[in-house]
Amino acid sequence: MTFLLTQAVDKAAERTPDKDAIRFSGQSLTYAELARNSNGMARILREQGVRRGDRVGIFMNKGLESAIAIYGIMKAGAAYVPLDPFAPVARISYVIRDCGIRHLITNDLKLSMSGLLDEDVDLDCLIGVEAAEERPYTAISWDAVYASAADQPPDVGAVEQDLAYILYTSGSTGMPKGIMHTHRSGLSFAQWAAEEYGLTSDDRLSNHAPLHFDLSTFDFFAGSQAGATVVILPEAFTKFPANMVKLMAEERITVWYSVPFALIQMLQRGKMEAHDLSALRWILFAGEVFPTKHLRNLMLAFPDVQFSNLYGPTETNVCTYYHVTAVPDEDDEPVPIGKPCANVEALIVDGDDQPVAVGEAGELLIRGGVVMRGYWGMPEKTEKGFYKRPVFGYLEDKFYRTGDLVQELPDGNLKYLGRKDRQIKTRGYRVELDEIEVALLSYELVEEAAVYPVPDGQGSNLIEAAVTAKEGAALEEAALVSHISDRLPPYAVPGTIHILDVFPRTSTGKINRRALQEQATAVPG
Amino acid sequence: MDREAILLDYVKNELLRGRANNITAEDDLLGAGLIDSLGILQIVAFIDERFNIQVPDEDVVYENFNSVKALSDYLAQ
Repeated sequence: MTFLLTQAVDKAAERTPDKDAIRFSGQSLTYAELARNSNGMARILREQGVRRGDRVGIFMNKGLESAIAIYGIMKAGAAYVPLDPFAPVARISYVIRDCGIRHLITNDLKLSMSGLLDEDVDLDCLIGVEAAEERPYTAISWDAVYASAADQPPDVGAVEQDLAYILYTSGSTGMPKGIMHTHRSGLSFAQWAAEEYGLTSDDRLSNHAPLHFDLSTFDFFAGSQAGATVVILPEAFTKFPANMVKLMAEERITVWYSVPFALIQMLQRGKMEAHDLSALRWILFAGEVFPTKHLRNLMLAFPDVQFSNLYGPTETNVCTYYHVTAVPDEDDEPVPIGKPCANVEALIVDGDDQPVAVGEAGELLIRGGVVMRGYWGMPEKTEKGFYKRPVFGYLEDKFYRTGDLVQELPDGNLKYLGRKDRQIKTRGYRVELDEIEVALLSYELVEEAAVYPVPDGQGSNLIEAAVTAKEGAALEEAALVSHISDRLPPYAVPGTIHILDVFPRTSTGKINRRALQEQATAVPG
Repeated sequence: MDREAILLDYVKNELLRGRANNITAEDDLLGAGLIDSLGILQIVAFIDERFNIQVPDEDVVYENFNSVKALSDYLAQ
């Protein structure tokens, strides 16, 4: 019986021990090696005091070790917390403190480059670093991890309701919030995905998304369900369409999964036509609306490939999907987000939480095994995110409020209309505009701040900000950028910050963000 | 200024806008996550504008862009 995300790796190791589980930069880990090394990692974590329910951080650029860390942490009975390796160190240390991480898997290079240990963090044990004298924590090297490889994972008595991972996303209060997933919620998604996309041990899946981005759970967990090979793209490659396409061809990727932006870049600048991509059978995308013009071009370029749009906030993994079977016309509306995945129920309600009629707009609520456990350390926010309502007249159950406005089309597919709040997507990343405003306002010379999205014409948004200075203050953009760059991940730092004398106002005296946005959109380039 | 110095000045002061003042021409811009894909395109546009060199798409790769030095070496070819 499969009830933990880790069991898929051990089963694949029995079935196909010599099959590659993970590939990175020309190197591989077979399923047998991944199983044995993650067992070793789990044993070391247990020896260092990790217990069921603990949180263990992962802080490094991606590599083969990422997979050993993910599965090793879960085999130790703990939840893995992937820390954005490129986020400001103050943000990383906040997450470490917020969810009480005492054990961190990292490496010497990342540790020294980031300056993490100079921050206010209290760690018991660092794994992946060489021992050095006078360090207030235990250091265990990667060599020691590999030397601990074992045939069996420790017996920790985990159940499917245990936490498996916590993904931190942008929070509107100015601090990121941790979305808790259990083995059950992860498996509910992974098992559906492996079946729906017909994954087999012959498949070679791309891992484009960073580990703290929930797209990566498809790559690793749906992939391991099938005993498939996951090819991890180095983070640096994701900036270069030509590198991505070359890797796609060389690694004979069969299933590609990323945000639309990456695909548009590859199509426009990656010379896809010059490479043999004949192994490709699925292109999956999620995270943002795919502009129809580009989707059309991509589908025309790959007539033998199947396309699927996956939808779901991090809180629900993926909850609806739409297979794009017909090439859309250039001026068609964006493809729908489709129908609920197996074992998922979708409900559309109005402002009074009453179900709407077919065709009417409303907020999408989701019920099912894929839904998160809650937000780490935020019982009130968790309570607010869920909506309890009677089911069948005699059961009360929880629905997750997505905050997304949708409408049901005549054919039963759901169409995405927009957000209820001020959350936006930029290059697939989810950003709360309020969080950026909080960061701007924390600079002492700033009087008022407004942040707004500017469509980039590629289906995504760039972020712009406008601020006014406190009276008599000499506010400079560079200093302000530097200030917020210490607080926000790079993708959330506005590309342009206008320093204004006065804000445009609405008739009620609020900052007129729409006017700012319209001015920005009117400026070419 | 030679080409390398011009590029470093651009990356430091225009692209990173004071986020990493002590970077050098040898520093790995990508491993540290300093520059995103939009930044790469901005560098390509800058090279076109400033040096009148059009970098073809197939040369916009990690190997040529991982540091200011790698970039100026590539442009010198």
